[in-house]
Amino acid sequence: MASAITTAITDVLQWQVLLVILFSAMYGIFVGSIPGLTATMAVALMVPMTFFLGDVEAVAAIVTTVTCSIFAGDIPATLVRIPGTPASAAYATDAYALTLKSQHEKALTVCLVFSVIGGLFGTLVLACSAPQLAKIATQFTSYEYFWLFLLGLTCAAIVSDDSRMMGAFALLIGLLLSTVGLGTDYSTPRLTFGFDALITGINFIPAMIGLFGISEVLRNALYLPGMNETAASQVVGKEGSESKSRTVEASLLGRLRQVLSLAWQRKLHLLRSSSIGSLVGMLPGAGADIAAWISYAVSKRFSKKPDEYGKGSLEGIGDATGANNAALGSAWVPALVFGIPGDSVTAIAIGVLLTKNITPGPNIFDASEKPEQAALVFSIYVAFILANLVLIPLGLLAIRAGSILVHIPRRILLPLIVVFCTVGSFAMYGSYLDVSVMLAMGLLGFVLESFKVPLGPVVLGIILGGQVEHKFIQCITKSTDVSEFFSSPISIILGLSIAVLWCAPTLAKLMPRK
Amino acid sequence: MNSSSSHCKSFSYFFSLVLCLGLTGLPGCRNKADYPNRPITLVCPWAAGGGTDRVSRQMAAHLEQKLGVPVTVINATGGKGVTGHSRGLNARPDGYTLTMITLELNTMHWSGLTKLTFDDCIPLYSINEDYAALIVNNDAKWNSLQDLEMEIKNRPGQLKASGTASGGAWHLATAGWLIAGGRSADDVTWISSTGAGPSIQELISGGLDMVCCSLPEARTLLESGQVRALGLMAPRRALGFEEVQTFPEQGTDWTLGGWRCLAVPKDTPDEIVNDLTQVIGSIVEGETAISSGSDRSKMTFSKFMETQRFDHTYRTGNELREFLSETDAKFGELLTSDAMKSVNSDRFSPMTFPYIILGLMACVLLGIAINTLRQPYPFNRTSREPDNAQLESMTISVQRVGNRGLTNFGIIVTAMIAYMLFVEIVGFVLLSAAIVLAMLCWLGTRLKNSLLITIVFVGIVYEIFANVLRVPLPRGWFGW
Repeated sequence: MASAITTAITDVLQWQVLLVILFSAMYGIFVGSIPGLTATMAVALMVPMTFFLGDVEAVAAIVTTVTCSIFAGDIPATLVRIPGTPASAAYATDAYALTLKSQHEKALTVCLVFSVIGGLFGTLVLACSAPQLAKIATQFTSYEYFWLFLLGLTCAAIVSDDSRMMGAFALLIGLLLSTVGLGTDYSTPRLTFGFDALITGINFIPAMIGLFGISEVLRNALYLPGMNETAASQVVGKEGSESKSRTVEASLLGRLRQVLSLAWQRKLHLLRSSSIGSLVGMLPGAGADIAAWISYAVSKRFSKKPDEYGKGSLEGIGDATGANNAALGSAWVPALVFGIPGDSVTAIAIGVLLTKNITPGPNIFDASEKPEQAALVFSIYVAFILANLVLIPLGLLAIRAGSILVHIPRRILLPLIVVFCTVGSFAMYGSYLDVSVMLAMGLLGFVLESFKVPLGPVVLGIILGGQVEHKFIQCITKSTDVSEFFSSPISIILGLSIAVLWCAPTLAKLMPRK
Repeated sequence: MNSSSSHCKSFSYFFSLVLCLGLTGLPGCRNKADYPNRPITLVCPWAAGGGTDRVSRQMAAHLEQKLGVPVTVINATGGKGVTGHSRGLNARPDGYTLTMITLELNTMHWSGLTKLTFDDCIPLYSINEDYAALIVNNDAKWNSLQDLEMEIKNRPGQLKASGTASGGAWHLATAGWLIAGGRSADDVTWISSTGAGPSIQELISGGLDMVCCSLPEARTLLESGQVRALGLMAPRRALGFEEVQTFPEQGTDWTLGGWRCLAVPKDTPDEIVNDLTQVIGSIVEGETAISSGSDRSKMTFSKFMETQRFDHTYRTGNELREFLSETDAKFGELLTSDAMKSVNSDRFSPMTFPYIILGLMACVLLGIAINTLRQPYPFNRTSREPDNAQLESMTISVQRVGNRGLTNFGIIVTAMIAYMLFVEIVGFVLLSAAIVLAMLCWLGTRLKNSLLITIVFVGIVYEIFANVLRVPLPRGWFGW
């Protein structure tokens, strides 16, 4: 065991591997920050290159790319409210609100630091308890998954700022959109209204770009005749008195120190959100997106300042971003132990591992039997740690570079965003349907926001709708009785927490009056 | 006002410019002299990380080495394979779009999902045939296929199986096996799932009794001994899994396998078809090798398939066509038989879930309506003072919507629609440039600056997507 670890460390700390990590980090940040291109796509694009790399280099490249692209998704989410990857959708509204207050650099530094801490925590969990954790994953049958997905959806709905009703409404819109086309369980399409193209259903990447990004562009176009303004100058005009605090913020080291002390203050919260991230990430099919939502909801529920959530809460951003990065590490748990991927990225990673003659399985950590294999697994951990460390300087650079966007006048920025979003949503699957989905969702998002309906739950509804429906149909096909939905302790716990989350605010209101 | 009309002029000027370019550029520019001279797309109808994806990506790397142009794999997933197959086979028949067609091409037209059949493509080379296997938990009480068949006979409809979506290949394999044994197709309840991976996870967590999938898909847990295979629906034992007995060996006359095959759209020119067939032929014969494996040794395509435990039976030409029409007929027989009718009709209507959602939506809307009626004004009832935040938010939504704003709104929407309608004809570079330029000018940037921004921006975007990320962007006039 010890020898495997030392082999792993020496394997990774070679200049070729380090060079690969550096390049993958830049590549990951680059792809992650382009709206429409997900971490999954970043890794899929890399697969042909891994054929030409050694084992350790290939693993390091995948791990680094994912880590960095999930963080980089926060950059466009913060600056132009277009989540670069779905994992950033949970706090896009919060982060963008801070940009409008000209605190984008602070928001992004929080994203970066908390991502790194969450990522390191996730790695630690992966390294220390993968075999034990994997046992929990085997307890999950379709009933438990059904409840877990429902919990994720509940969290998204109840965190919305205005009312739970509006959140629920938004969520249901998302779920309804997700049922368009051919469901997993059916051989006849529904709700396509005669359009053959819709048989595939609504893809959530262009939907997300449309709902968040295009709707914001449209609103800007409609309400801002002063096209010369930039996001930054708008604030200066409105709140000139705050300019003093901004100059303090501008110093990089000062900002970093501020954020680090915030992280220290919130160390217990970080522990909580990283644990949530690790647990959720480990379950196949759940992953970083749901982790971010659940963590954000938990954070709001226990926060002393729940009113700030949705209007630029650094606490909410930090907790959610910590959770989504923590989920990345633990997504490798079921992948390594059972060969069952925890998310789409590890699905590709397994393919690459198999190409490298490494067979995932319960014995993968056994150094005595296959020392080379165990060493490679440990090098995954080392690569995760290095990836998170290299993310700090590169992330800061990316934030600097990205912040230029804030200083470009709207009249120039808007056309560029429109074309970029169009190409981005086209790029993923090369389909014009996706471009029309983006436009339609942009208009829908615009209308919904004018009626103060939150957009986050719509996105999560579209992402999870298919899976919720699938698990639900699986459950009712299997069961003879409703009680089977509550047949295991995990189901009961998950079911109860959903009930509590929906009813707690109402109960809390009733209590003091008695 | 003055400035806006000048923008209008420049706006229409650029559209007429684009139009002129279009009229002059329409004919010509079809250059087939040296195929291939630009990147090739390989459409994979299944998700990244799965078996088809892995085979596709490996094949793409070999093709790239042999052809000397980039070969990019696109995962066009969804619609049970319909999406990818129809995208690949309806593409321009110019040899720049290959498709990794799979067994589902033989089943989906029988179940009415699409009109596409294998007659719509020119199959080049089939590179893999993997047969269905029955997998059970290691601690299951059945030791042979006979034991399991006995159990099904005693408790019809009680056992649960999965492996793919209902109506998918492995579902048909299971149903065909039951029918061949004189049982009814729904004597085993099929639980629809998204694939072999999730099904096996469900199997080891105790939610299923058996999984039907190919052996490579279950390889990890088979090797660790958590699950075992009761039988393989194949005429011969599988390479790398020699210990698994076949169905015919165990006295059940039923075989069914999946296949993966490279194909091009129907009207592709003969010389390109011949070229590609030759190239693939040389790849499967081991003329190319790319480095992989822990020792970075060079590996041929067949060697890769072997180490991955994928079967590698190659067929081409007439043999391949016969094989495809044979399997097609077999599925036709199975899918149109009365025994399968009951299985194909879904147990729950596809609208079950949408109706539940609509019901809930009605409840929520009712709730919102009641809430709004109870608090009609943006005033806080207890303090009797206007709630500033709410008042502000109400006024924001009605402020400053002038004609100018509406026009901006309209232009952005029009630009995106124009992109969708014309990009295949005009090509990405020219159309995006026209759109960006027009919008920049309209929003009040000077023409000179607009031109500069447009050229730099479109150049960067093209470089990023087409060259770095290898996204096949639409090419139109002048091959741009």
